[in-house]
Amino acid sequence: MTRTGRWAAVALGVLLVVGVPVAIRAIPPSDPDVGAGELLAAVAGSEDHPWSGYVETEGALDLPVEDNFSDVGSLFGESTRMRAWWRGDDDWRVDRLLVAGETDLVHHSGLTIEWSYEGDRARLSRDPDIRLPRTADLVPPVLAERLLRDVDAGDVVRIDARRVAGVDAPGLRLEPTAPQASVDHVDLWADPETGVPLRIEVYAAGEPSPSFTTEFRDFSAATPATAATDFPAAPGIQVDHDDVLDIADAANQYAPLRPPDRVGGLAKSSTSDGAVGVYGVGLTQLIAIPMRDREADPLREQLGQTPGVRHLASGTAVSAGPLGVLLTGEDGDGGWLLAGTVTEDTLVEAAGDLARGTTYLQDDS
Amino acid sequence: MIAVELRKLVLSRRTWVTILLIDALPTLVGILLAVTDLGPRPGTGPAFLSAVLTDGTLFPLAALAIVLPLFLPIAVAVTAGDAIAGEAQQGTLRYLLIRPVGRTRLLVAKLVSVMVFVVLTVLVVAATAYVVGVLLLGSEDATTGATSVSGSSLSTQELAGRTMLALAYAMLCMLGVAAIALFLSTVVTTPLAAALGTMGVLVTSTVLLTLDAADVLQPYLPTRYWLSFVDLFRDPILWRDVERGVLLQGVYVVVFLGAAWANFATKDITD
Repeated sequence: MTRTGRWAAVALGVLLVVGVPVAIRAIPPSDPDVGAGELLAAVAGSEDHPWSGYVETEGALDLPVEDNFSDVGSLFGESTRMRAWWRGDDDWRVDRLLVAGETDLVHHSGLTIEWSYEGDRARLSRDPDIRLPRTADLVPPVLAERLLRDVDAGDVVRIDARRVAGVDAPGLRLEPTAPQASVDHVDLWADPETGVPLRIEVYAAGEPSPSFTTEFRDFSAATPATAATDFPAAPGIQVDHDDVLDIADAANQYAPLRPPDRVGGLAKSSTSDGAVGVYGVGLTQLIAIPMRDREADPLREQLGQTPGVRHLASGTAVSAGPLGVLLTGEDGDGGWLLAGTVTEDTLVEAAGDLARGTTYLQDDS
Repeated sequence: MIAVELRKLVLSRRTWVTILLIDALPTLVGILLAVTDLGPRPGTGPAFLSAVLTDGTLFPLAALAIVLPLFLPIAVAVTAGDAIAGEAQQGTLRYLLIRPVGRTRLLVAKLVSVMVFVVLTVLVVAATAYVVGVLLLGSEDATTGATSVSGSSLSTQELAGRTMLALAYAMLCMLGVAAIALFLSTVVTTPLAAALGTMGVLVTSTVLLTLDAADVLQPYLPTRYWLSFVDLFRDPILWRDVERGVLLQGVYVVVFLGAAWANFATKDITD
């Protein structure tokens, strides 16, 4: 074989190796003839459908890094790899995969075990109604359930299909109608067979690229085996019990106050019956957490160092994509932490409503 | 031809000095851990290193994680880069090719020699680390087994089997490095240039992996899946990145060995 022939053979090999996968990916996905309302109904009907798969999320929200909220910051500001097995709302496992370890959430009967390989610890806790976001909230089916709450067919339009995890998935676009909303729109693609959401993109107003994306890279609609959602702890691993899951749960249980039923024009959620208020629904939600000075001060300091911070009369405010954060009060005062997918004006109005409408409980001790 | 190259490899003092140097780092780390009882903070340092204080049988994996990102690829790049260019620099290449030996066979013999070097190095590192780990750091309770990354129990057999898979995977990753270095060794006339060129490729790959803007390139970078051997110790095993790593290294090996063959088979030899 001549020199030219040999190089031609190598070039052909490279072309095949590189070109074939690229060509396969370039084939446009087929778009099933399904209307927006029908697809929305299929997605809503898939809430109890089991699934398993490998999920990647990508967040572009530059949130303050503070000990009590570091997990939230990394979930919404970085990329996260997960694999998950979902047999039902009360029987699932979601592993957050790290380069040299993993943090797993294993949920059964209202109790969740969090296993951290790198921390070499397992913690068992009940699932409180009020808590900070965690990995399991960001897998597409779970996030979609939250975002599409109270949405009807008139709120959504069809968008082009997209190939997700090898599935030609028809798409939906949802634009919030509430005046308080800071989310411009949400795009969602779902499995045409089961309606299980496969990819979600959240856009802030004026942003050409999504602020947050979550998608399956591998997906199966088959029911995972029972063993897949077990946590057969190795001998030597001690499972500790946690009475308090995180700072939101702690405040909700122990802060001696009750927030008003309505702030910033948003009604309080029925699950919010403690000191922490969750307001609004779906794409337009706001959480208000009362904080003691020893928790509020370091957070206020972190917020002060965040690019784009604004010092308003009602507190320290930052925004990251569609997410607005406002911490009321000053150093040594404690304050309300308000965060949500609402406009800054709504946060300020909510801060005023909290200052006026909070009820302080009598100390019986 | 292969036997000649293997004899040269095994009898070369440089081979054993290189292996010794690579082996020295994890051994030193093991001794320091045993003496001070100070492991890295969980979540920091090489994979599995924080776990070896309680289970020394995991130390071969920690040793692999220590040498895989830098030491081992440098050694492979130097050894494979020397394969053809070294002969050219010493002026022995034309004499070598005067013998009735096809150039393709010579190339294959050089590749086999480099791979044997990789296998030897990985096995020596793993064996030394196992001995250091068990003797100095202790082993797990034989009745309970080791703990997987997912918190479940791994029997001694499972741990041994998965460790073997991890070692084989690391060897395959190094085969990709060897293919790049061997190709460059047929292009340049000094082994240093071939080794530096290979390291340039690997450093570029490592830097691009940290850059979000290079997201679209990352699945194709040679170092992308090197540390995926950790996935073999999850429960159940996460094959996704391991499969992609095997496929990617296979592509690098086929493409660069093909290029080395295309370039070397009728290259004018002046040295």
